[in-house]
Amino acid sequence: MTQRIVRALLLVVMLVPVTTANAQLERQLADPGGSVDELFWAPSIVTLPTVTNVYPGNLNFTIHHSFGLVSGGVDELFGLDGAANIRFGFDYGLTDNLSIGVGRERFDKVYDARAKWNVFHQTTDGRIPFEMAVAGDVGVTTLKNGLSFNDRLNYGAALLVARKVNDAVSIQISPLVSHFNVVYRDLDRFGNPVEQQNTHVAVGIGARWKVRARMALSVEYVPVLGSRSDNTSDALSLGVDLNTFGHVFQMFFTSTQWMTMQHSAARNQDRFWDGDFRFGFMVNRVFNLTNDY
Amino acid sequence: MMVRWTISALGMLFLCLSTYEAAAQRFVTREGTATFTSSVPLHEFSGTSTSLNGLISVADSTVDFFIDLSTLRTGIGKRDRDMRETLDVKTYPFAEFTGKLTSSLDISSPKAQEARVEGNFSVHGVTRRVVITGTLTPRGEALELEASWILNLEEYDIEPPRLLIVKVDPEQDISIKAILHTQDP
Repeated sequence: MTQRIVRALLLVVMLVPVTTANAQLERQLADPGGSVDELFWAPSIVTLPTVTNVYPGNLNFTIHHSFGLVSGGVDELFGLDGAANIRFGFDYGLTDNLSIGVGRERFDKVYDARAKWNVFHQTTDGRIPFEMAVAGDVGVTTLKNGLSFNDRLNYGAALLVARKVNDAVSIQISPLVSHFNVVYRDLDRFGNPVEQQNTHVAVGIGARWKVRARMALSVEYVPVLGSRSDNTSDALSLGVDLNTFGHVFQMFFTSTQWMTMQHSAARNQDRFWDGDFRFGFMVNRVFNLTNDY
Repeated sequence: MMVRWTISALGMLFLCLSTYEAAAQRFVTREGTATFTSSVPLHEFSGTSTSLNGLISVADSTVDFFIDLSTLRTGIGKRDRDMRETLDVKTYPFAEFTGKLTSSLDISSPKAQEARVEGNFSVHGVTRRVVITGTLTPRGEALELEASWILNLEEYDIEPPRLLIVKVDPEQDISIKAILHTQDP
């Protein structure tokens, strides 16, 4: 009896490899617990950079446009006749986590250079529950006003902390510092001196809510903490993003006419809820500059 | 008693040899790529994954291949992300084929041989019966595989993406290349 059992067991042991050899391959993910995809579709919400970075070897070309105040009414075609600001920008992905960029905006003829580095990514297995990046921007005003180069410089630096809450909703909190080497001491229309601050500290808040596969609503709010320049206000933008296979179109109403984070935090003078907002849009197009594909 | 033991021992030896032979005729990928080509008017782009996994078991004609769709790269990161969303990779991470080799294969011949497989191809949660032809070329201890076919996205409930207002052609050219080596018994 014992011998029969031993022989039966041996047969089973011998048969198992044959059976196994005929089985399917085990389905294994290439990167289990990898990074969460697409917290935001574009590298910026409106003026705030997002944690979304440009892939290595890719060039993200941005046209950012904003018009005059909608409150100008039909005479001003709801701002379209007003003074428009426009910024052309290029951001290039150097590595998986680092991009650099340059841009130029019409107001104050500001040229700026910027960089963004992803410190770590949110992971699909929840091991890292949020994503963190740092972003910096250095601008130089090129208006002909007699200032030295050093006096023309302005800076923005932000820590970007974001989380994709679910497939539809992503949120981002961005403590930031804005600094202008020189600020103007103007008089208001009553002849009173307008106090300007060189440095502002703000906490940018941004969110995206994907309402359809290719459409999302977005919000950006940049409240300044502590002292601030007179007659300035916290910038607020509400927008709609459309994601096609090649472009991201961002259309928004925004209180700020400025286009970098340092200008948005320090120099916005319009109050959204008082009706002082303007229409704007941003077009993002990505190009592959490598020959790999 | 002695006879029964001898028969048992021979049986076990036979099984051992069968196992060895089955394993020796079982080829698994050491390197493999899968490529798709999409086209819209005046524009064409390709995506490639170098993570094609597969096996061909000559003994029982089993053919089994899969890729993790998140490994597909088109050269533009944004497009890769959009593609993963279009394919709903989070829910359906793999494209896979399981079937049988229906043509004969002589692994002792170094010549390229036409190979025909029939089986189930699954992507985006939809499985369809397909017949795919390609070539298999024995290279010593290895098999070289090349195959291509056309995949219609709409047949797999995948909505073709749009470049602005232009829809990507639902018919995608798929090609795979792999070197498969005998698996150690």
